[in-house]
Amino acid sequence: MGRGFHIPERSVLHFNVADFAVAVERVKDTSLRQKPVIIAPLQAARAVVYDMSEEAFSDGVRKGMVLKQARRLCRGAVVLSPRPPLYQRAMEAFFREVRHYSPLIEYGQGDGHFFVDVTGTHRLHGPAPDVGWRIRREVVQGLGINPIWALGSSKLISKVASRLVKPVGEYIVSPGDEANFLGPLPVELLPGLSGRELEKLLDFQLLTIGAVARLDLRQLQVPFGSRAAFLHAASRGVDDSRVNLPGSGSDAIVLEHDFAEDTNDREEVRAVLARFAGRAGDGLRGCRLVTRRLGVWLHYSDGGHVVRQASRRTGASGEFLLQKMMETALERVWIRRTRIRSCRLVCDRLRRESPQLLLFPETKDREKKEIRMVAAMDQVRSRYGSPSIGVGRCYRAPVAAAAGCQ
Amino acid sequence: MVKCSDKQLPGRVDLVCGAASGADTICPVYVGTCGYSYTEWVDCGFYPPGTRTTEMLDLYSRCFTLVELNYTWYQMARADAIGRMVAKAPPHLLFSAKLTRTMTHEVGTDWQQQVAQFRLGIAPLGKRLVAVLVQFPPDFDRSVAHRKYLASLLDALQGLPVAVEFRHRSWAVDAVFTELQRRRVILVAVDEPALADLFPTLDVLTEPSLFYLRLHGRNSRGWQSSNMQKKFNYDYSGEELHRLCERYVLPMARRAERGIVVFNNHVRAMAPRNGKTLVQLLEEQGGG
Repeated sequence: MGRGFHIPERSVLHFNVADFAVAVERVKDTSLRQKPVIIAPLQAARAVVYDMSEEAFSDGVRKGMVLKQARRLCRGAVVLSPRPPLYQRAMEAFFREVRHYSPLIEYGQGDGHFFVDVTGTHRLHGPAPDVGWRIRREVVQGLGINPIWALGSSKLISKVASRLVKPVGEYIVSPGDEANFLGPLPVELLPGLSGRELEKLLDFQLLTIGAVARLDLRQLQVPFGSRAAFLHAASRGVDDSRVNLPGSGSDAIVLEHDFAEDTNDREEVRAVLARFAGRAGDGLRGCRLVTRRLGVWLHYSDGGHVVRQASRRTGASGEFLLQKMMETALERVWIRRTRIRSCRLVCDRLRRESPQLLLFPETKDREKKEIRMVAAMDQVRSRYGSPSIGVGRCYRAPVAAAAGCQ
Repeated sequence: MVKCSDKQLPGRVDLVCGAASGADTICPVYVGTCGYSYTEWVDCGFYPPGTRTTEMLDLYSRCFTLVELNYTWYQMARADAIGRMVAKAPPHLLFSAKLTRTMTHEVGTDWQQQVAQFRLGIAPLGKRLVAVLVQFPPDFDRSVAHRKYLASLLDALQGLPVAVEFRHRSWAVDAVFTELQRRRVILVAVDEPALADLFPTLDVLTEPSLFYLRLHGRNSRGWQSSNMQKKFNYDYSGEELHRLCERYVLPMARRAERGIVVFNNHVRAMAPRNGKTLVQLLEEQGGG
């Protein structure tokens, strides 16, 4: 590192709307505010809980629980069918409030989670706590939703902090105070742990994050093998992961959609996947990446799932190539007649776009037109957001999902 | 760049004031800023390049003996975090803590619980707590409901050194000053843009143990903005600071046992720069 070169402390805000689907439904219908609410597909066979309000949660209702059981636990609950397009619109509206404050925004899968990296924006927008407070105020005023917000020096710290103030509130962790902050917290609050890892930690009586942090790397390696490095760093509050735009800096682009009602309408599924292919391409081109494999996952109402892929050795990021790959994968995956509960499009095996120009540039008029059209679509998307434009087959049905990187 | 003061307590000026009886009295005046943890102050050279947040308080205390904690406005004061900060802070440093917004700007039905939490949160400040700043927003006017709320809040904060800052001019009446005096609550004097409904700059002293002057800058256009970078973007000239000394600091110092002058124009590190200039002016005006 050169003399005089300093790595700035990071300021990462995490916004989390607790029980996002319920919060959105309550904005649409204020009479729901004082009632316990469960959201689950009412028409589906073996319907499971999609989301629930704090009141229903305290009665024992959990996500993924069979609706019949949830109704037994919370008898007074209002049960509503999920409306993913509505939740997606709310995510987009939230994003519009946040995007003025930073170019680095990462958001979850239609769940009301946003990471905003405001490092280095202080001269323009002021100190990070003030930005957090202002965004929250603007979201409350503009959308009627009251998000939790937390500020930390990394995604890990701000995420843990926001978990401490559910369902509303704020938490600021001062830089340098990370280890003190994490130390006394229960180990369950550490993000990124698998169920088995958590079980193992509890078996070893490592009940707090501080207890894990006191072990050195070699000690952790004995029970946790290759995961020891993650545990060692995370328990000390060390997290260098970037706040990524969908599609950048990650190993895959994952887009997922839950259908409001289980469906076996192929055109409806195709419309969703076509829109996803468009969004994935937008993300890939924005980061100068190409994908060499596009996968389509279908999850059925009976709990089963099927995955099929389409590959391209040289990679693809263009709208029309990705649409072709999606069509191929959909053709391959459509093998069951059971109703579909959700679908997922995954672009992985990502690599950098070749910086080298083609020796023989596109010669066909059609190719030239396609390139110009994709460039124009990208411009529209950069100005009005990814969902603002797409190929015709996208518009068979409203789409609801958010991009997420894994 | 931070330069260590030659004096034992940087940013403190003991003003020698002539009393009516003929005997001189001394009023220690503490100059400081609203907050100390600004990355921008590194960019602007107040803190040395590469200063980490954890190092800022120590560097700050080489220039000033008092700091107003403003992050307690954004989030409820937490005893563990404040305790750690106090433990690391140099022993001469004094604190003023701003009351959390859930009791001033976004008052909910649970505000009494919030007061209890706040009391617990600031407890580690102990005797180093000079004042609890209760700053109300511009739309907090002297309506019946607001008066009732203020009375209840002051009751709940009893026992703490409370200083109230109004932004709405309707509070600038004698009845309010008399009541604050009766309750031994400090009325914060403010310097801010001369806008129609804003509380005027006054040298009224409601509690002789302390005067509290907050200097927000005079950026009228920026004041209307919700962006702090615009609102508090103001550099006091030497002349303006001189007049503030003559008109407000010295008259109040003559009547008070001690005083606080805090700069809120944090943009481009103007607050600490203006603060240091004010200290020099006060020293020239009879400080020792």
